[in-house]
Amino acid sequence: MLNFDWLSGVSQHTAKMIFLGLFILIGILVLLIPNDYIFQGVEKKDRHWYMNLKLWALIVLGMIFYTYYIF
Amino acid sequence: MLSGIDLFIIIAYFAGMMLLGYYFKRFVGSSDDYFLGGRTLPFWAIGMSIVVSDIGAMDFVGVSGQAYRYGVSVGNFDWIGSVPAMLLAAFIFVPYFWRGGLYTIPEYLGKRYNRTVRTIASLTWISFFAVDLGVLFWATAVLLNVLMGWPVWLSILLIAVVVGFYTYFGGITAVVMTDVVQLIIMFVGGFTLVFLGFHSVGGWDGLVEKVHSMGPEYQQHFHLIQPADTKTPFPWTGILFGLTFVMANAYMIGNQTIVQRCLTAKNEWHAKASMIFGASLKMFIPVLVMFPGLIAIVLYPGLVDGDKALPLMIKNILPAGLVGLMFSAFFAGLMSSVDSLLNSTATLFTKDIYEPYINKGASDKHYLRVGKITTLTLLILGVVTSPLSKLFPGIYVAIQTFLSYFQGPLFSILLLGIFWKRTTQWGGLSGLIIGIGVAFILNTFKGSFFTIENPFLYVSWWSFVTGFVITFVVSLFTAPHPDNKLVGLVYNLTVKKDNKL
Repeated sequence: MLNFDWLSGVSQHTAKMIFLGLFILIGILVLLIPNDYIFQGVEKKDRHWYMNLKLWALIVLGMIFYTYYIF
Repeated sequence: MLSGIDLFIIIAYFAGMMLLGYYFKRFVGSSDDYFLGGRTLPFWAIGMSIVVSDIGAMDFVGVSGQAYRYGVSVGNFDWIGSVPAMLLAAFIFVPYFWRGGLYTIPEYLGKRYNRTVRTIASLTWISFFAVDLGVLFWATAVLLNVLMGWPVWLSILLIAVVVGFYTYFGGITAVVMTDVVQLIIMFVGGFTLVFLGFHSVGGWDGLVEKVHSMGPEYQQHFHLIQPADTKTPFPWTGILFGLTFVMANAYMIGNQTIVQRCLTAKNEWHAKASMIFGASLKMFIPVLVMFPGLIAIVLYPGLVDGDKALPLMIKNILPAGLVGLMFSAFFAGLMSSVDSLLNSTATLFTKDIYEPYINKGASDKHYLRVGKITTLTLLILGVVTSPLSKLFPGIYVAIQTFLSYFQGPLFSILLLGIFWKRTTQWGGLSGLIIGIGVAFILNTFKGSFFTIENPFLYVSWWSFVTGFVITFVVSLFTAPHPDNKLVGLVYNLTVKKDNKL
């Protein structure tokens, strides 16, 4: 039980799908964060699209998704 | 092995680091400046500092050695073992700690639970950092002795003088800004080696084809996800439950050396951005530390000791000048780890032990002086105790494994403390102590509990689960804290009201 033997029947392919699904789930959660919270600390007039940290996070998630997809 | 130009580059690197670090002395006028950089630092510097502090010279050799033996699955530690946790830290935990104006993570635990929890957490980290310092010095100096032929004491003293100089005078600002340069050196040196390595094996396609043609034991080398019953230390179940869900989050959210950097950010946006920028840089780390091991499979097949892969590549592939740059990258790895340990341990001691227990209510200048003296004392202690490491072979691995024992329970009480207002001080204290105890038992009798040789990922998971369950159950049976005492300490009571801790 401590070794997760009960998951030994799960194939590598299915496990990979679990990891990829996790990245998608994180991406969805990131999209749900309110913009105001993302820009907290920056004056409204100084806010630009490229400072949207949701965009940064989605790019990083895209990178890791692709890495796990090809390996 | 080193030519004149290589030696020149290394000396220039040391001199440059000292001068750069000393420059930041002018910005240190208070303990806030020394420990939090006056909260003025930009996201890019913090992000680079987080990443470089996490990579040591030992990682270059050790990770490439593991990639030689097990393939790309070792990259899980820098990819899924960092990126999701850094995003979670960026969007939830870091802004929360930053708004609270905290110096240390145990400081939060003290406010949320009680002073005993704070003290236990702080002393655990201080002990770990102090021992780790000596071990790190010794392990890296021995490595450099093998690679460069430098006497062990020369490497230790040289690094101690340079790091001690800028950390003592410049505090965390010097630490972060020298880390920026160290990351650049590490990337330039590492990428050059990988580029030349790929060139000699016929590029990526040539590498994959040649490794696959080497026999059945190499067929899993390009799979990040290893079967649950693999004999390697990286079964996907351990990677998901132990690494992704526990160790990564505990490291990025509960580790003082990481979080303290984010607390130096000039505003909340910079604090969040620093973690996300760091996550993007993290994606490239396996390229530097893992790919050389894969390339070495083709260039030097049949090595008994995979850790020899990288030194062989440096010796045979890099031209004069670039060897010096690569060794500077090794020094950068060690120095960035040592300076982080020094400054963070000084912060923990000054803020969590000295201020509440030894001398409460002293002037800020006094605490600044204590921080500086602690830095110097730790450095001397680290240098003097470093030879003890040779009396305990395998202590480096043991120390790293020890980290996995208390990170799980610590993360469980941090998580419940922030997200569940019903969590009580007695729940947190019990969860922490019993969780650490269970981790020790699981490790001591690991042969009876686990089927893999090195089950630290599983130990992390189960000690986390234990800490979580114990905290939950004990909290239900003990008196809850009144809501007014939790404002600013529990997540939904913080975001809505936006209060300071």
